[in-house]
This record gives sequence, C-alpha cells and structure tokens, in this order.
Amino acid sequence: MNLKDKLINSFEQFTQNTNGSESEDVRTKRAEGMAIFAAQGFPTMKEEEWKYTPLNKSIKRDYHLKSHENTSLRSSDIDPFLCTGIDSYRLVFVNGVFNKSLSNIACQDTFFVTNLKDAYTGESEVFNQYFGKLADTQQSMVALNTAFAQEGAFVYVKAGAVVDKLVQIIYINNDKSEAQLSQVRNLFVVEDRAEVQILERHQSLTEAYAFTNVVTETSVGKEAHFKHFKVQNNLDETTLVDSTFVRQGAKSSTLVDTFAFGGDLTRNNLHFEFSGEHAEANMDAITLLKGDTIVDHHTFVDHAVPNCQSNQLYKGIYDEKSKGVFNGKVMVRKDAQKTNAFQQNNNLLLTDLAAIDTKPQLEIFADDVACSHGCTIGQLDDEALFYMQSRGIPIKEAKAFLMFAFAGDTLKNITIPELKEQLINLVAKKLNVNLELNELDL
Amino acid sequence: MLKIQDLKVEIEGKEIIKGLNLEIKKGEVHAIMGPNGAGKSTLSAVIAGRDEYEVTGGTIEFDGKDIMDLAPEERAHAGVFLSFQYPVEIPGVSVTNFIKTAINESRKAKGLEAMEAKDLLKLMREKQQLLEMDKAFMSRSINEGFSGGEKKRNEIFQMAMLDPKLAILDETDSGLDIDALRIVANGVNKLKSEDNAVMVITHYQRLLDHIVPDFVHVLFDGKIVKSGDKNLALELEDKGYDWIKQELK
Amino acid sequence: MTEEDKILHEVTNTEYKYGFVTDIESDTISKGLNEDVIRLISMKKNEPEWLLDWRLDAFKKFKEMTEPEWANVTYKKPDLQSISYYSAPKQKKTLESLDEVDPELLKTFDKLGISLEEQKRLSGVAVDIVVDSVSVATSFKEKLGELGIIFCSISEAIQEHPELVKKYIGSVVPKTDNFYSALNSAVFTDGSFCYIPKGTRCPMELSTYFRINQAGTGQFERTLLIADEGSYVSYLEGCTAPSRDENQLHAAVVELIALDKAEIKYSTVQNWYPGDKEGKGGVFNFVTKRGICHNHAKISWTQVETGSAVTWKYPSCILKGDYSIGEFFSVAVTNNHQQADTGTKMIHIGKNTKSTIISKGISAGKSDGNYRGLVKIMKGAENARNFSQCDSLLMGDTCGSHTFPYIEVKNKTARIEHEATTSKIGEDQLFYCNQRGIGTDEAIGLIVNGYCKDVLNQLPMEFAVEAQKLLSLSLEGSVG
Repeated sequence: MNLKDKLINSFEQFTQNTNGSESEDVRTKRAEGMAIFAAQGFPTMKEEEWKYTPLNKSIKRDYHLKSHENTSLRSSDIDPFLCTGIDSYRLVFVNGVFNKSLSNIACQDTFFVTNLKDAYTGESEVFNQYFGKLADTQQSMVALNTAFAQEGAFVYVKAGAVVDKLVQIIYINNDKSEAQLSQVRNLFVVEDRAEVQILERHQSLTEAYAFTNVVTETSVGKEAHFKHFKVQNNLDETTLVDSTFVRQGAKSSTLVDTFAFGGDLTRNNLHFEFSGEHAEANMDAITLLKGDTIVDHHTFVDHAVPNCQSNQLYKGIYDEKSKGVFNGKVMVRKDAQKTNAFQQNNNLLLTDLAAIDTKPQLEIFADDVACSHGCTIGQLDDEALFYMQSRGIPIKEAKAFLMFAFAGDTLKNITIPELKEQLINLVAKKLNVNLELNELDL
Repeated sequence: MLKIQDLKVEIEGKEIIKGLNLEIKKGEVHAIMGPNGAGKSTLSAVIAGRDEYEVTGGTIEFDGKDIMDLAPEERAHAGVFLSFQYPVEIPGVSVTNFIKTAINESRKAKGLEAMEAKDLLKLMREKQQLLEMDKAFMSRSINEGFSGGEKKRNEIFQMAMLDPKLAILDETDSGLDIDALRIVANGVNKLKSEDNAVMVITHYQRLLDHIVPDFVHVLFDGKIVKSGDKNLALELEDKGYDWIKQELK
Repeated sequence: MTEEDKILHEVTNTEYKYGFVTDIESDTISKGLNEDVIRLISMKKNEPEWLLDWRLDAFKKFKEMTEPEWANVTYKKPDLQSISYYSAPKQKKTLESLDEVDPELLKTFDKLGISLEEQKRLSGVAVDIVVDSVSVATSFKEKLGELGIIFCSISEAIQEHPELVKKYIGSVVPKTDNFYSALNSAVFTDGSFCYIPKGTRCPMELSTYFRINQAGTGQFERTLLIADEGSYVSYLEGCTAPSRDENQLHAAVVELIALDKAEIKYSTVQNWYPGDKEGKGGVFNFVTKRGICHNHAKISWTQVETGSAVTWKYPSCILKGDYSIGEFFSVAVTNNHQQADTGTKMIHIGKNTKSTIISKGISAGKSDGNYRGLVKIMKGAENARNFSQCDSLLMGDTCGSHTFPYIEVKNKTARIEHEATTSKIGEDQLFYCNQRGIGTDEAIGLIVNGYCKDVLNQLPMEFAVEAQKLLSLSLEGSVG
C-alpha cells in the first residue's frame, strides 16, 4: 500500500482513539485536513511550487506511523545539541513524542512553554483561537499535518511579558528499527509588546529513515519582538518538510534564522504576513550542504498593509552532489504603499556535481515602494585565495576562511552571546574552520 | 517684479507661513535669513509652485500678474528659477538633454522656434566656462552621482542657461567648500543685471560675503520680523538668532 | 539631437497613430483551419511537396496540443476557426520594380512613415514589407545580391533557395516546440528570409515591416535568418495594425542561426494595435523567437514592445558553441489594459559562454507587465557568465509588475549575477522638471527615456528615435 493510502486508512483509527479528548472544532479541522490531503496527495514535481524538489523518493518508504516514546535517552545524550551555558526552557521530543522528564517547561502567570497537547486543556482558548488559523490549510503537507498533529511546542507569551530565558525545542530521532513518519505542530503566540526567543532543532541520531513534517504557526502582536532560530542538522537519512507561517502586528519585529545543514531532503516554506503598519520581518538563512542532499527554501512575504519592511538574506554553499533551491516571492499588494522589501540570495558551488536553482520573484501592485532582489552564483574569489596562500595560509584553510566569511553575515541578527557562539561554532565546524586560529570578528 | 502680500501657507494642516509680505524690484538682491524651521524653504517652494503646500491666504504677483494658479512650468516660463537645496537625480537623462528640453520648452511657450543645436552648444560652452565645469560633465546623468558641489554648480549652470528674471537660491551654500562657493557666487554675480533679481535664502552670512544683498530680511515663525541692509546679516551672524527671539518678546 | 527634440515636441496625439485601414483589394480565403486550408496555402504558394508534408505534420501534432496557460496573462482564447489564414493584397503576379506596387499600398507605407522611396534614398536600409500574409516589396535586392547576400520573402526563398530553407527551417524552433509555433509551422504564409555568406559584413540594416490590414485575418509569418561563418548582419522589424474592435492573432516564428564567429543583431520595435482605453480589441502577439550560436558567435536581441493587447514573447539564445555570446535588451511598456509576459531564455551549453539580460518594464494604467526569464547553465558549460538586470517602473497604483526569473545552474564555474529593482517616477523628479519649464508629459517622456537608455542605445540610430517617440506616446497622460 502506498503511503498516501496508508495515511488515509490510519486516520479512521486515529479519530477513534482521540474522540472525546478533542474539541469539536479540532475534530472538524482534522477531518478537513484529511479531505484535502486525500484529494491532493503528496506534492509532485509537476507542481510549480515543487518543480525542483522530488518528494517521491521519500514517500516510497514503508513508514511506521505511530509515534512511540523512547525513554532510554538521558540528558547527557542531548546536551551536545543544545545551547548550553545559559539557562533555558526546554522542550524535548523523542521520535515525535514529548519527553517530559528531559524537558524544563514553564507554566507561569505571564507565559507558557509546554507541549501542544497540554494546550488543549490548559490554554484551550488560545489554542482554539490560533490553531489552524494562520497556516495555509489548502497546502497538502499542512493539511496532512493538521489531520494528525498532536505533539509539538506551545509557547504563549501574554501581553507585555518578556520570557526571561531562551526557549529551546529539540526534536530527536533515535528509532533504530523502523522508518518513522512524524507530524510535528508548533504554535507560538506572542501577544502585544511581549518578547521571546526560540531555538528549534531537528536532530537525527540514528540511521533508520525519518520523515518529519512540521507546521509552525506564529502570531506576533503589536510592538512585540520575536526571534526564531531553526537548526536543521540531520543525518542523510531524513526528510524534513517545514511550513512556517508568521503573522505580525503593527510595529512588531521578527526574525526567522534558518541553519540548513543537511538531511536527504529539506524543504522550508516560510510565509510572512503583516496585520499592522510599520512592522519589520527579517529572514536570514545559511545552507551548507554536502553529499547527495537537497535543500529547498521557499519564502513568501505578503505585503498587504503600508509601511512595512522585509529583509531576506539567503546564503548557500553547495559541495559534492548537493543541490539548492531558492524560490523567494515578494508580493506587494495595491494598498501596501511605502513598502520596503529586500531580498538577497548568494550561492557558492564547490563542485561540478552541485547545482542550484533559484527564482527570486517580485509581484508588485503599488507604485510607491522600494523593492529589490539580487542573486549571485559563483565561486570563491581566486585572487583572495592566492593572496592568502602567498601569506602562507594553506589552500584548504584559505577556502574555509573565505566560506566562513561568506556565511558570516547571516549571523548578524543573533543577539544572545552564548547562542551566537554556539551557532558560529556550528557553522565553523561544518566548514572545517579552526576558530582559535582565525579569530573572526562577527 | 515679485510682490507677496499677506501670504499664508499650510502643509498637512500645519501653518508654516503666517502672513508674509515681501517686494523685490528689478536689479535688487534680497537675502532671506532665519533659523531652521522658520519657513524659508517653504517660501521658495511656494513661489515655484510646489503643490504639496496649501496656500490659505494672500497673493503672489510676478511682473504684475497673479501667478497663484499657474503650474510650476508656467512660472518657469515666466522667468522664475529655483535653485534646489537638494537637486533631484534623474537616471539616464544627460545634463545636455535636460537643459535642451528645458530651454526649448520655454521657447515654445514664448512662441519661439527651438534653438539650433550649434547655438545651444555654443551657449553651453560659454556657461560651462563661467562655472568652471568640465565638458565631460555634460554627458553625465543629471545629478546622479554628483558631489554636493557639482550639484550646486549644475543648478547655477542651468540658471545661466535659462536666464531667469528672478533667481531664488535655496541654501545654495550648504555643502559647498570655499572654492566651490566662490565659483557659484561668482557665477551668480556675473549673471546679475539691471533687469533681473536674486533672492538668496541662507542660514549663514558666508554666501553673503560673495553675493552682497541690497536688503536682508529675517524670517521667523512664518513672518518677516525684521528687515535691513547688509549690516543686518552681519549683526545676525554676530549675535545669533536668539537675539531676534529676545527682541520679539 | 535635433531629431530628439522633434520627438519631444511632437507628442500631441494620444490616439494610436497607425490605426487606419487601407482600402486594398485583397485575395482572402474563407475562414477556418483544416488540412484543406493548409493544402490551399501551399498550392497558392506553389510549394514543393516536402514543405506541404512538413506543414501537415506540424498540423497533426498541433491538433494534439493545448494552448499554454502558464503565462501571467488573461484573455479570451482566439477562435482559431474564425480566422482566415491567407490574405494577400491583389496585385500583378511579379513586380519588376517598386513602381508597380499598388499606389494605395505605397500610401500606406507613407503614412507609416516608411516611404520606400525615402528609405531607399536616405537611410540605405533594405526593406522587406509584409502585409497580412504576404511579402509585397523588397528593396535593395540587387545591391545586396552583388555581395551574395540573399534578402527576400520566405516564399521566394522556398522557390529560389530550397536547399537553405530545407536545411534550416525548424532547426532552432522545432515545429512542435509549442502550441503557437506548431500552428505557425502549419499555416505560415510569408515572412523574411536572409542569408549572409561567409565572411561578409552586411553593409546596411536589413528591415522588415509587418502590417496586419485585412479584418478577420491573423498574421503567421516566419523569419529565417542565417549568418554564415564570420559574417555580420543587423536586422530590424517593425509592426503595426489597424484599430479594430476584434482581437487579431499574430503568431510568428523567428529562427536565427549564427554559425562560427558570426554576429546577428536583431531589433524589434513592436507597435501592434494595443486595443482601446477600455481594453477592447488589439492584437494578440504570441511569438516564438530563438537563435542558436555556434563557436564564437553572437546573437543580440533588442526589443521595444509598446503595442499589442497581449504579448507573449521570449526571444532566446541557445549558446551551443564555445565562447558564444547572447544578449537581450528589452523595454516593455504596458498601458491601459495591455498585458505583457515577456523575457528571455539563455541556455548555456558551450564553454566560456556569456549572456547579458537588461530588461526595463514600464507599467501604467490598468496594465500588467511581467518579466519571465530563464538562465540555464548546463553541466558542460565551463566558465559561463551571466549578468541580468530586471527593472520595473510603475506609474500609478492600478497597474502591476511581476518578475519571474528562473536561474538553474549545474556547473560550479558559473558566475551569475541578477539584480532587480522596482521604482516609480518621483514627485520630486517631476517638480524639478516642471520648475525648469518642462511640462509633465514631456517630463515623463524624458524620465522614461532616461530609464530605458541602456536598451535604446542598442538600437540603430534611426530606430532609436522612432522608439523614443513611441515610448512617449504610449505613456502620455498616464500620470496626473
């Protein structure tokens, strides 16, 4: 039986199990999601939005659909993948299931950091207000997620509150026996004037195949500040489809910073919209790929109100047989005068087998706007390499040094020193740069 | 030549000019001085016909005719020239092409034939020399990538080409080093005659050392609060604008 | 310079200037599309059998194809059965000289500002003229003939030089390349043919004027241009059509072949009738243009697109040879209800190939302008270079501008740079011009021409002047 049919069949069992524990509203959403997925199926390369990214290989596998907990993991097993050295709230998910003992949740008067399942009951009002309201449920991967999603991060910050610690969310795969398909659902609600920073990491510890389908809905209120760091550092036996939807209010600022470091196939859909004026959205991303892997970044920034700004900086370095896709769409609607929208996509190809397909797209219907996009594809600067070699730096180090410098400006919006250090180290490690020798000022 | 009576101007509901009177006759040089925000640039823009400003009262006559209902280009054709404080960049349009279009539009409005290319080139060369401008300058896109000094010289070059009756120099000295200031002032002085007039808008005395005014007016809070001869400018430089404020109390 | 002045002053008439109809007796076959029509066209043109078979094969494939819908344009699909596929001005069988051309027809060209006599005497431009379906006059033939240059209608080429036509037709745009190229292959009636022999530099601009005159007809011309090794040619086409309430279909195919070290410069000033202010009528301009470059060859496309109700056009270069160069310079203006989806494809196959794309879109009124482009670097294309710049200028907030640049790179040695901006004509720019005595319409013309300068500079002088004039005309009254 193919995966699609298998999912459709298992839905009946799923609804029977959950009946009674879920509200009518959620049940309806699940049914709708299943109907859309059943009608559309998995996306194929025939669709413009998936033109360069083949999902067919990922869906041919025989997946174990039911999430199961693995309690043998200890804190020391996951520490290497977290930002240590600072206090943080932690949500740890193992094979798609929340692991409370490894987590450090927060249930305070002014904010909550917990598993989504808990939000059904504890903060059901907020849950019902936002769940399935921000995501584009017409997309089949989102619809599929909505049908099954139960586990994921729930972060709710009430008006005026500032979350005092970094929120770290980690999704671990360590199922050694079977290929695993999991549906992860995050819901972040940051009310007016509130602030929070979130680190989300997907990490596979096993060679059994894992397919994770994540949907994140983020609502950012007026004058609120929100930062979301995504570290996608999977082993080669993983497929990650991440659909993130952000709606932000007037005078708010947001950052989504993506570190795409591998996995068989990674697809990021990042959707931004504004509900009030003078809001600013920042999207940074660095993609470092090796092997026979593919990362596809799709961004869509929808400017429908005036005076907002969006900045996109997407950089990629592609080695061996890896392939990158960037499809950045900026829409400036008729009333969105005085919009500033910038988009930059720079790529380095290191081998003849690496490839990049990029499509920076502008659709503009307002005349008083400043929009630009730039895209470059190239190699390391030979002259700079020669210059360094002439000063005695071996070619390998010189290359790593230049690549690190190339990637560097995607790290500029990170303000927590410990987090910045960790992410810089991660990039440096990927590029084989020895930071003790090259004291790079970032 | 220019007669402004009880002029009142608003922008976005805020009154900037609050009953201003000014008369400039042929052959005269007037300086308008005043602190930031007094309404100096508003005055120049309103005379040139910028439509963001709403004239709520008073009249502006030029050569005995009411020009309030004239479009900016019609005022230009009548002989009003404004040297912009921030000259505008127009990518891809050369200085030559721009000035030629401007001259021939004015000629057309006066019922004259377009100027022959060779006459135009001759005139351009003459005026270029006056402002010590390089020939290569003429083929550059207008104001694009120009330094502050080049922009202002280009303004006075256009003034020389268009030969206006009234030249309004809006903060022409700002951003100029002393050499550029001398070149610009020298250009203006050479263009001055019995038949035209100059209105210099400035914050400082500096430019007035070179372009000597017959009258100096102090604009404060939307009105001309004090008028005098060139010595008033020196006094202002010496005592500062606070002195005027004190005196008004 | 003085010429430029004239243009800026002449701007007085906002109506489509070329909207007149010439009363010429035409030989028009009845409407409809079927095998018999194709046989009839082929018979009327006394074509060899291989060509008829080629047409019929194209038609067979065409019937299995569907009209493409991926372009960002909306229009009522033309009813292909209600078009007459052959219409020719009636005239004597063969023309001995220009004097024998129907005087009404000559008057038409006078009105279009392209008097053949004038052209002949002054500019030294060789002109081929295609009205509705057939070529009616080609000038300068003998002079070009002395150099071995063949410049004639494609019908004539089929009779006189069948070996060249047979070898190259459909070699760059296969007959089943797309819906409209297949239709064109089946029913094309005329067009221009040009062959430049080895090492020859064509001493004058070659030019074709296309005109749709007859109601209820489409124009399906086919242009084939072959530049043999080491040769050079500059070619220009201009297009006009009468103002009619119905939508007329223009589905042309242009194929360029630049053999080793040859250079082709192909310029278009397209001013088909754009429809009226309410969007009624106008030409559907669905054109396939493509060139192939062999080693060290260069093809340069320059286009100024101001007309047509709907334009769908992507002049492309296949950079097959090593060190070959492709260029695309485009100005596309849309006003009122016009829609344009235009751009280019640069396919880098050979080593050390280079391409440049400069696209300037201007949208006004209720129109939509789209840039759609593809830069593709194939695996073997070592050291390929591309620079693209796609700028849009919006006038008012009822129009739209869209850019869809696809970039696909499969070789690490590629260097690609792509830039795009969107801007508008600033209030301060207009006021600055006004203050210097330049009225608003003139100021827009000036600013727009400045904005398009990089592209207009690519056109031969006399056509650059025409293009500037067109730009000002098509945008008149769009601000303020």
